[in-house]
Amino acid sequence: MKSLADVQNALLAGAVHFVLPEVVLVGTACLLFVLAVVYPRRTAAVGLALIGLTWAVALTYSVGSGETTAFWAFVEGTPYSPHLLAAIDPTGLAALIRWLALASGFIFVLLAWPEIQDHNAGEYLGCLLVMIAGSSLIGRVNDLVSLFLALEMVSIPTYVLLYLPLRGRGEQEAAVKYFLLSILSSGVLLFGFSYLYGLTGTTNLGALLAVLSAAHQHAITPMALIAILMVIAAFGFRISAVPFQFYAPDVYQGGPTGVVAQIAFIPKFIGFVALVRVLGLVIRPQDGLPFEASTTLIPLVLWVMAIVTMTFGNVLALLQDDLKRLLAYSGIAHSGYMLIGIVVACGLPGNSTPALSGVDATLFYLIAYGLMTVGAFALILYWNSQERPIRTIDNLGGLGESHPLSAALMTVFLFSLIGMPMTAGFAGKFMLFVSAFEAPVEPPMQNLYRILAVVAAVNAAIGAVYYLRIVGVMYLRDPLHPVSSARRAVLPLFAACLCAIGTVAFGVYPRLIADSTQQATPLVEVPGNAAVVARM
Amino acid sequence: MTTPPPVLTPAGLEPAFDLATYYPMLIFAAVILSMACGIVAATHIPFLKPRNPTKTKQMPYESGMDPIGSARMQFDVKFYLIAILFLVFDVELLFLYPWAVSAYNTTGGWQSRYGDLVFLEILAFMVTLTLAYLYAWRKGVFQWR
Repeated sequence: MKSLADVQNALLAGAVHFVLPEVVLVGTACLLFVLAVVYPRRTAAVGLALIGLTWAVALTYSVGSGETTAFWAFVEGTPYSPHLLAAIDPTGLAALIRWLALASGFIFVLLAWPEIQDHNAGEYLGCLLVMIAGSSLIGRVNDLVSLFLALEMVSIPTYVLLYLPLRGRGEQEAAVKYFLLSILSSGVLLFGFSYLYGLTGTTNLGALLAVLSAAHQHAITPMALIAILMVIAAFGFRISAVPFQFYAPDVYQGGPTGVVAQIAFIPKFIGFVALVRVLGLVIRPQDGLPFEASTTLIPLVLWVMAIVTMTFGNVLALLQDDLKRLLAYSGIAHSGYMLIGIVVACGLPGNSTPALSGVDATLFYLIAYGLMTVGAFALILYWNSQERPIRTIDNLGGLGESHPLSAALMTVFLFSLIGMPMTAGFAGKFMLFVSAFEAPVEPPMQNLYRILAVVAAVNAAIGAVYYLRIVGVMYLRDPLHPVSSARRAVLPLFAACLCAIGTVAFGVYPRLIADSTQQATPLVEVPGNAAVVARM
Repeated sequence: MTTPPPVLTPAGLEPAFDLATYYPMLIFAAVILSMACGIVAATHIPFLKPRNPTKTKQMPYESGMDPIGSARMQFDVKFYLIAILFLVFDVELLFLYPWAVSAYNTTGGWQSRYGDLVFLEILAFMVTLTLAYLYAWRKGVFQWR
C-alpha cells in the first residue's frame, strides 16, 4: 500500500498537469508584454492573445474528464481523501469554471478591440489573459495561499486595465477608487485566512474545512466566525454586495467600457466561486458544513446581505440617468439574487437530496448574468463614438430606427435582465426561486427562505421599471443628435450577437447548461467518479 | 458542575475558556496601564509637570538642524519607478536566499524528491523577472529625463 508521503509526492508532482492551460495563458501574457515593447501593433497583439486562448481551449478539450480520473488514481488503494491533501483539485466545479473563464476570455478580447491602440495593445491583452488564467484557477486551487494568489491574479491586472485605455479624470477616479478598496478587501481576506490557518494548522482548504466541521460538532469557535465574516466581507467587495458596493457606480461610470464589462463579470464570478468553496458548499466535509444554519448565524448574515443587496441595487437603479451607473446598480441587485442560492445551500443538511442544491442555481444565474450584462456593455461600446458618446439613457433615443439589429439585441439583454420567459435570466431566476422554496422549513431558518424568494420576486418587478425605461427610450423617443455615420468596429456587435444567442438558447432550453452546473456541484460526491451525481 | 465542551484553538482541541488562567495576564496589564497613566499624568497635568522652558527646548529638533521650507513637497515620479525596480530585485534576492541555503543541504531529504521541481520553479521565477526587467528597460524607465 502507498504511504501518505507517496500520495503527497504524487499529488504534488502531478499538480502541474492540472494547470497546463493556465500556464499557457500566463506564458502568452508574458510574450504579449515583450511584444508590446518590440513590435507594438494592435493586430499582432490580438492575434497572439487569440492563439494563446485557442491553445488553452485545445488543452482543456484534450484533457476532458481525464483530470478527475487521474486525480483519483493518485489515492487508489489508500484510505486517504485527495481533497484533503492536494493543492490543486480538478474535481467538482473546476472544469466548468475553466470553460467559463476561457469563453469569457474570447468575448473580452472582442470587446477590447475598439479600446486599444498600438501603443497599449500588448499590455491590455496581457493583463486580460492573466485575469482569465486567475479566474480559471479559482475553481481548482485547494489551498489558501494559492487561492489568494489566484484572486490577486485577477485584481492586480484590473488596476492596470482601468487606467490603461484612456486617461481622463473619470478614469483616474475609477482606477484609484477600485485600487484602494480592492487592496483593502485583499487585506481583510488575508486577515481572515490567517485566523483560519491559525485555528486549524493547515492551509489546505479541504483539510481546513474538515477540521472546522469536526470541531464544530462540539462547540462553535468564535475565532472561526470572525475569520469567516472577514472572508465574506472580502468576497462581498468582489461581488459588490451591500455594504461593500460603494465603489461600483463610480468605477462603472468612469472606467473604459470594455474594462467595465470585465469588472462587471469576472470579479463577481470569482467572488461567488471562491465563496462557495471557502464555505465548503461544493465538496462538503464529511461531518457536515463547517458553518451550519443550526449552530452558526452565518447563513442568516448571508440572508440579510442578499435582501439588502437586491433591494438597495434595484431602488437606486430607479434613480439613475447614466447608463453605466444604472448597470452598476443592476449588477448589485443581481448579486443579491445570486446570494439566494448560497444562502439556501448553507441551510441544506448533508443527507438531503433536493432537486436544486442552491449552488447550481447560483452558477446558472452567474452564467446568465454574464451573458446579458457583458452583452449590454458590448452594445454600449458598439454605439459609442467620438461624435455621439453614449453616456445617459437619453443618448439611446431613436436607436430602434437607426440601428434595428443592435437595438433588438439590447432588448433581448434587457428582457433577460428583467427575467422575461424564454431568456436565460428567467431560467436563472426560476431556479433560484425554486431552490429557495424547496429548502427545508426547519429551525432556525424556518420560513426565511420563502420570505427571501418573495422579496426577490418583488425586486424583480421593481427591476422591470428601469430596464423597460431603456427599451422605451430606444424605440419611442426621437434621437437627441443626428445619427453618426462613422464606421464602427464590428467586433463588439459580434460579441453581443454571441451573448444574445447564449441568452436565448439557455432561456429556451436551460438543460444545455443546467446539467453541467448540477454535475459540477454534487451534494454527495461519489469517489472516483465525481461526474456522476448522487441524487437518488 | 459540568465541564464545558472543548473548543478549537491553534493548539488543537482544548478545554473551554477559564478566566482564572488569565489572572497573571490581568495583573500584568494593570501594572502596565497604571505606569502609562502615571507617566502621562506626571508630564501633562499642569500642577504636577515641571515647567521651565528655554529657547533650545522650544526648537522642533532639539539637537538637529532647523527644517527648511514646507514638508509637503511633491517628489518626482521617477524616484518611485526606481524604487519599485529596486524592490523587484530585492524580493528576488529574498526568495533566492532560503532556496539557495536549503537546496544543497542534504539533511532534510526533500531534495531528492522535489529538488529538480523546485530548481525549475526558481528558474521560471527568474525568467519572469528578467522579462519584466527587459520590459521596463525598453519602456525607458532607466532614462533620467
